[in-house]
Amino acid sequence: MTTPAVRRALRALAVVAAAVGLAACSSSFGMPRGASEQGQDIFSLWHTFMIAGIVVGAIVYGLIGWSLIRYRRRRADDDEALGRQFHGHVPIEIVYTAIPIVIVIALFTMSLRTEQRVADLSPDPAVTLHAEAFAWGWRFTYEGQNVTVVSDPSGEGVTGPEIALPRGETVRVVLTSDDVIHAFWVPDFLFKRDAIPGHVNEFDVTPTDTGTYQGVCAEFCGLNHAYMTFRVAVMEPEVFERWLSARRAEEVAT
Amino acid sequence: MAERAPGRGGGDVSTTVDRPASVPAPAEPSRPGPVSWLTTTNHKHIGIMYCVTAFAFFLIGGALADLLRTELAEPGRQLLSNEAYNTTFTIHGTIMIFLFVAPFGAGLGNYLVPLQIGAPDMAFPRLNALSYWTFAGGGLLVLLSGFAAAGGGTATGWTAYPPLSESRLSPSIATDLWIFGLALVAMATLLTGINILTTVFLMRAPGMTMWRVPIFTWNMVVTSILGLVAFPPAVAAFGLLFLDRRVGGHAFDPLGGGDPVIYQHLFWFLGHPEVYILILPFFGVITEIIPVFARKPLFGYLGFVLATLAIGALSVGVWAHHMFTTGVVDNPFFSAMTFTIAVPTGVKFFNWIGTMWGGKIRLATPMLFTIGFLLNFLIGGVTGVLLASAPIDFQIADSYFLVSHFHYTMMGGAVFGIFAAIYFWYPKITGTMLRESLGRWVFYLLFFGFNLTFWPQFVLGLRGMPRRIVDYSSGLGFETPNLVSTIGAGVMTVAVLVFLADLWISRRHRIPAGDDPWGGSSLEWATTSPPPEHNFDAVPRIRSSRPAFDLHHPELEP
Repeated sequence: MTTPAVRRALRALAVVAAAVGLAACSSSFGMPRGASEQGQDIFSLWHTFMIAGIVVGAIVYGLIGWSLIRYRRRRADDDEALGRQFHGHVPIEIVYTAIPIVIVIALFTMSLRTEQRVADLSPDPAVTLHAEAFAWGWRFTYEGQNVTVVSDPSGEGVTGPEIALPRGETVRVVLTSDDVIHAFWVPDFLFKRDAIPGHVNEFDVTPTDTGTYQGVCAEFCGLNHAYMTFRVAVMEPEVFERWLSARRAEEVAT
Repeated sequence: MAERAPGRGGGDVSTTVDRPASVPAPAEPSRPGPVSWLTTTNHKHIGIMYCVTAFAFFLIGGALADLLRTELAEPGRQLLSNEAYNTTFTIHGTIMIFLFVAPFGAGLGNYLVPLQIGAPDMAFPRLNALSYWTFAGGGLLVLLSGFAAAGGGTATGWTAYPPLSESRLSPSIATDLWIFGLALVAMATLLTGINILTTVFLMRAPGMTMWRVPIFTWNMVVTSILGLVAFPPAVAAFGLLFLDRRVGGHAFDPLGGGDPVIYQHLFWFLGHPEVYILILPFFGVITEIIPVFARKPLFGYLGFVLATLAIGALSVGVWAHHMFTTGVVDNPFFSAMTFTIAVPTGVKFFNWIGTMWGGKIRLATPMLFTIGFLLNFLIGGVTGVLLASAPIDFQIADSYFLVSHFHYTMMGGAVFGIFAAIYFWYPKITGTMLRESLGRWVFYLLFFGFNLTFWPQFVLGLRGMPRRIVDYSSGLGFETPNLVSTIGAGVMTVAVLVFLADLWISRRHRIPAGDDPWGGSSLEWATTSPPPEHNFDAVPRIRSSRPAFDLHHPELEP
């Protein structure tokens, strides 16, 4: 098994893997880097998983490619040429079963820790936002603030309602649905949760970056599912307070 | 493996009964007419009918996919109304899963399992015919539910989650047709499962111990067991949904005190074993093909079978990974189970690589499709590990990333396996070859088109595009990947048309294949092409897991 050709190939493989690995360390692999603490936590897990996936994938692709090139039938071979007739190799089989077990235990452990942090509920969130999904829109209520934001009747070309969140403070989202199952998804927070009639789901989000982010319904809910969008504006806490007062005044006026 | 005396009564559980000598050998059958197709109980005819029907459903499902991709090519609505789009993706998904990939596997199993174990037919030939006709009838109902129901086609998605699928929100009778169609398909799956298990356990030829059974047949055994385990809860879910809809049950309707999450548990208790029901037969297919074209025995037969059994066992414990975002399941448990099932699946890659290692690999068309399977399925597998992590799933569940992931396993895997199987066994089934030159075109177009379609969908998912939307706004970075994806769908359509041309030409201008054009390993290559009425005039000695190979290479016989 250690012909010079094999050794050369292994060395080439190692070089390629190292190059890919170095490039990978700075790439986000297309994922938003996260505009919330929880989202950034998930992003770093994603990053680790992607690097592991690319390394494993490159090794397996390399082995497949090597077998196909090295062991293809040549013109010189006659039609009846056979490969070497071996049926297995128990030590190798044990190794290639054990290595994936080790890898998945490591990945699962990291995943579990991240989930515990992301799903953790703060004892005293700064803002509690009740989100009720309905076909096909959203009703957001800021608890204790007399502020409610509701979708216009949804349809093509309608921009969804815009809610505001304070940067750097923990927001509790209390989520449910009036009719069918929907899902609250803000891709830049790297998080979604189902809104299920008869169930109440709660999660915390701590925005870290100001800006306006797109939110969508991620669970198919019928006719106008595609248009059940909303926007999340993350602003500095003092701006957020002014936004709340303005909304309150607006509601009193109407 | 203990050596046993060849011949009858070798001490195995299998027995064969001599056919009475008074029965005259049937004359070489002329081409069977329509009546004999309608009334046949022969496993080979039923297998062909299954495969042809399933492939017809593939053409319909593929045409629907083209409609979906055309609608999504650019922002705005061009082609389909919201209702039509929702119906189209519902029927597309239902067809591809329940009426194409799974029944194509059942059809291959029907055709090949008796041949591979040296049996004259399935254990229950009439039950087998009942399976086929139940499946065909169920498939027809599902098709009707998309196009021919007053009140509009069913538009609940292939998952039909309540409350959306309750009658107050989906009043059309189409959804009831869909429920009954799938119940019939489920029954067909159960009957086929019973038949295949009985056949494999009781009708193996002398010498064909379980540890010599070809991998394809082993995989059909595990597939059949999974069908028996997974389909009854699904029928229960569909039955309760029907009661909810039509007789005022409130099992899943929160307005009556029901819980829609229970439906999801029942549905995914079918749904996740189902994906292994879809893929295991084609793991079997490529595991038959690689040794034949590498001119070697399978590397690690025992480990491979154990891995398949492990996948079967673990697959009934992973269902709630479809429900990580519901907030009401024990995510760590189902996440751990899902990571675990990646191990036996990963191990198979090393079996396949080990089989190619040291071989003399011939890159004929069946092998090309097999390599396509390996390259695509690996991406499906790696992205599957990402989805097994609950926090990562919070982001990519129900996005186009997920859509792309399961198409890499189901289309890039199972469908490439289907084409590999067609090119590999067509000579056995018909006695004639498909065109090798056209087959290569089909492969390159399909492989290129497939990756062009689905790679951009990973990007779309990461940019935040949810699945099942008829329209999207511009300015979110969705335009270019969607356009590229639609072009890819067009390339795949061309590939399928070239394949149909290949079938047409090969039937018009027949190239005789001989009995064993590839130098096959398993028993079906030791009989004529097509095989006689009861498969074997004489069953060769079975001393290893590749009796047909031993026949041609007695010097290598163990």
